[in-house]
Amino acid sequence: MEEKIAQLSQEAAELIKTKAKTMPELNDIRVRFLGKKGEITGMLKSLGQLAPEERPKLGQVVNQVRARLEEMIAVKAAGLKAEELKQKLASEKIDVTLPGRPLWTGHFHPLTLTLNRVKSIFMDMGFTIEDGPEVESDYYNFEALNLPKDHPARDMQDSFYITEDILMRTQTSPVQARTMEAHEPNSPIRMIAPGRVYRRDDYDATHSPMFTQVEGLVIDEDITFADLKGTLELFLHKIFSDNVGVRFRPSFFPFTEPSAEVDISCVMCHGKGCRVCKGTGWLEILGAGMVHTHVLEMSGYDPGKVSGFAFGMGVERIAMLSYGIDDLRLFYDNDVRFLSQF
Amino acid sequence: MQVSIKWLKDYIDFTESAGELAEKLTRAGVPVENVIRADKGLDKVVTGRVDEIIPHPDSDHMFICTMNVGDGKPLTIVTGAQNVRQGDIVPVALVGADLPCGKKIAKSKLRGVASAGMLCSADEIKIDTTSLPDEQINGIYILEAGTPVGIPVAQVLGLDDAVLEFELTANRADCFSVIGIVREIAALTSNQPRWPVIKVREDNGAKAADMIKIAIDDPDLCSRFSARVLNDVKIGPSPAWMRTRLEGAGVRSINNVVDVTNFVMIELGQPMHAYDYDEIVGQSLTARRAKAGEELHTLDDSSRLAKGGELVIADAVKAAGLAGVMGGLETEITGKTTRVVLEAASFFGPSIRRTSRSIGLHSEASGRFERGIDVEHTIRALDRAAQLLQDMGACTVAQGGIDVYPAPKPQPVVPFTAEQINKRLGTDIPAEEILRILASLGIEVRDLGSGNYEAISPTWRKDILFMEDLSEEIARIHGYDNIRATLPKGGVMLARQSDEQDLIDKITEVLVAQGMLETRSFSFQHPDMCDKLNIPDDSVLRTMIPIMNPLSEDYPNVRTCILTTLFETVLRNFSRKNEDVRVFEIGPVFFPKALPVTELPDQKMKVAGLISGRRYPQNWTDSNEMVDFYDAKGVVESLLEAIGIRDCSVEAGEHFCLHPGKTAIFKKGREVIATVGEVHPQVMENLGTKKKMYMFVLSDIKTILKYCGRRAKFTQLPRYPAVERDLALTVADDVQAGVISRTIKKQGGKYLQSVNLFDLYMGKQLGEGKKSLAFSLKFRAADRTLTDEEVDVAFNSIVEAVAKSCGAELRK
Repeated sequence: MEEKIAQLSQEAAELIKTKAKTMPELNDIRVRFLGKKGEITGMLKSLGQLAPEERPKLGQVVNQVRARLEEMIAVKAAGLKAEELKQKLASEKIDVTLPGRPLWTGHFHPLTLTLNRVKSIFMDMGFTIEDGPEVESDYYNFEALNLPKDHPARDMQDSFYITEDILMRTQTSPVQARTMEAHEPNSPIRMIAPGRVYRRDDYDATHSPMFTQVEGLVIDEDITFADLKGTLELFLHKIFSDNVGVRFRPSFFPFTEPSAEVDISCVMCHGKGCRVCKGTGWLEILGAGMVHTHVLEMSGYDPGKVSGFAFGMGVERIAMLSYGIDDLRLFYDNDVRFLSQF
Repeated sequence: MQVSIKWLKDYIDFTESAGELAEKLTRAGVPVENVIRADKGLDKVVTGRVDEIIPHPDSDHMFICTMNVGDGKPLTIVTGAQNVRQGDIVPVALVGADLPCGKKIAKSKLRGVASAGMLCSADEIKIDTTSLPDEQINGIYILEAGTPVGIPVAQVLGLDDAVLEFELTANRADCFSVIGIVREIAALTSNQPRWPVIKVREDNGAKAADMIKIAIDDPDLCSRFSARVLNDVKIGPSPAWMRTRLEGAGVRSINNVVDVTNFVMIELGQPMHAYDYDEIVGQSLTARRAKAGEELHTLDDSSRLAKGGELVIADAVKAAGLAGVMGGLETEITGKTTRVVLEAASFFGPSIRRTSRSIGLHSEASGRFERGIDVEHTIRALDRAAQLLQDMGACTVAQGGIDVYPAPKPQPVVPFTAEQINKRLGTDIPAEEILRILASLGIEVRDLGSGNYEAISPTWRKDILFMEDLSEEIARIHGYDNIRATLPKGGVMLARQSDEQDLIDKITEVLVAQGMLETRSFSFQHPDMCDKLNIPDDSVLRTMIPIMNPLSEDYPNVRTCILTTLFETVLRNFSRKNEDVRVFEIGPVFFPKALPVTELPDQKMKVAGLISGRRYPQNWTDSNEMVDFYDAKGVVESLLEAIGIRDCSVEAGEHFCLHPGKTAIFKKGREVIATVGEVHPQVMENLGTKKKMYMFVLSDIKTILKYCGRRAKFTQLPRYPAVERDLALTVADDVQAGVISRTIKKQGGKYLQSVNLFDLYMGKQLGEGKKSLAFSLKFRAADRTLTDEEVDVAFNSIVEAVAKSCGAELRK
């Protein structure tokens, strides 16, 4: 009997080890030896036929064999399962280098991206965003800005006229006068006015009959030229970089006094001189100045009580420098291959 | 305005190089656009003497020269020139020279002999050859015997000069003169200027005043008219020094009289005119307005008819010239002229500007009058011109000047304190420094005591009227760089933008998130585009504002319809083989209140989009379908949801450029919020494209804003499960899904939470003219789980309603 147990045990162990290649095969072996009608189970059942004194000893032996086989089967099963999973995973392998299922990616216009940056910098400084009509009266576009008819400075801007007194605005500056008129006289103002402007310029790499400007106006008690410098320096450092050089040059605009042109060190060559800055190392980027006495007076503000500064910039210019765009016409050409780059 | 450094140095000393001076002036608000060096390319060209010249042993036409270039080291230079002799002094380009003709000089070997430089011809160093003898042109340029050896050739040729080209701002009329620039240099360098000393010797003959009568009829256009008469005039060329000065200023030499008037204009800023005295009918000159239709026979030998109102200078019978713009032909100075009337006057700038614009002629003189000249300069200018001509021996000067100056105006007085100026600039410049700067600019200041001053606006500055103007003078001479940078003080202010702008930003974001590209176009349009887009003849979109002076024929009007430019964008992309296009534009359109325009038009911001091509970017999966109506409609639906416009009614509708069977209109009440559809085949044909396009256009931003949800309101998440029922209906195929859906919602009772169409089927099984729609209905109560019985009641009532109103049958 004992011998038979040992034989069965060895046979089962051998089969588990060598013949069970799959779970069903392993299961067959389990059923054959340990199932309800299995050979080891049968041995346990046949213990009853033995002499009572032999039963405990042999019973123990059979149980030990059964426990050992069950453990072997469990270990083998775990191994087989792991192997099967491995094979399943291997069979499910895909080409992960195939492109993903694409969606169209939308893009903001580069001028919108640039405008949003400009707006956000000024809004952080407490500036409101103002707006004005694009078809404008001669009064707001010129006269309220101290540019009477026949003023030679009108030559600086060739206009699209609708009538003698109505034109496509040539600058966002008319929003200055409109904003002041909308305010209580002498109340403080901090605003920028982004928008489209129109000039009768030939359409080429640096000129366009329509382009985008941002006007700025700050009015309060004790506003100084030093404040103008500080505000614009801060803006230019934020929009370009903290290391960009900024210089102010005296200039002339009829609506400011003193007036300044503001240059930044060339962002292409870092001031060494290149094609973009025409070898000067500097790029003209802003016009600015202290609001002219006449302009304040015409809009109901008292130059004895308050002072202010104003500035204007071309958004295309900033975008061109930021993105390295070399032809202004691309902004209004709307080629999807251009628009998709930003 | 341009002037040479040498001319400036006639009146003031400075040690700055041309470039340094240009930078200083620019930084002080007198911008120099260009510095043109006359000696450009002559850096390494010196005078050299030919000490020895021998024929080249291996050449029949070359010579080997031993050159003395002054440094004690003889140079061997091989030349092919035939006109060089021993002892000649010639221009020698040394190794490293980069000549104005483009040649670069390097060490070389010519037929085995090393050559360290080049002897130069006139042409190679860009000498004007027009007045040179042939030998000097064809061979090497031989310098005068006795010319020092080893000095820069530019110095010998008088080319060690540079010209400053100014790009002056409109306010600095005074800088359109040499003395104006000199005044600026004086302020910037603190050096003393040497003003020209003006002295005239008058003869004892007739008095000028007896020879000619000067009058001003229209003093509003001519505030001063001064004149002198010159006798015994000998017309001839000007001396070389004057020609050089004028050349540096970009003015061509004509003859001594004309040159002198130009010279004085550039020197003092006072334009002048010279008349042939003997051609002036009636010996009188009058400044008056032209009569309409009056004939003007001008210098360019063209006959013009006056519009009327232009300022002319007339003799007893006719206009002898357009004042300040162009002289008359009859009184022009010619070789035969022997007596001359010189005019120096002050004309009203705006009037000169109008005249010069209307005839399209801008001259050095008209430009100066437009900007405003120094009215106190007329006499000085006349005396200066007379002096110069007299010094040339070209005339005698009749006794006395003539000066008609009806109403001299006192110069404006500008009160100021140092405190005011510092307060404007944000500086602490001491009063003494302020006074020093003003004095250096020639601005006279009176001390009124206790820190109060008044400045007398100089006659040459039209731009100094207020304390603020003085502050600019102080700032620019003190230096903008020397003013610190501060931030505005004052209370915190709230940054905000309008609700319209917020909405525009939001719509842009949502459409970009939908994979669309934002475009920007000009606010102009052409009527042809209205035709192509089938805009009806009576549409308000046809009422366009014409531009008086359009840039070209392409864009004669202001835009009324944003679709015109959007379609142009799409067509442009198609023509470049960009076939997958998903674009939108948010931009202004303009509607006149009346035509012709009398007041500002209504300006509206419109939103429109267009899609065409593939639904997804080209890819390897099987989803390469093209977009259709429902893609465009989906964009609109998502957009409206994102901006908080819910529950629009959607119905089939019409739009001039859309397919009548494929147009949907989103409405709130009677207001159209959006229109979407497939582009009309007729429009496609008009535009010359076969590609299907789907378009949407929204109402204007102000209207949309009225319907936008302000802020989302939170609804509790459901705690009890929903009961879902599918409703499959068979209906006639002309019954709209929207109508059924609305009926279901109306009839669904309070527990019906959502209705979602999930299947549409048309097939033979259903029979001709039928379609099947399957809806998923969700019922839910907030406070408990619904019983089947409750849902059945609602469901049955829905089935009954759709059967009744839409003829729908439950699909078996």
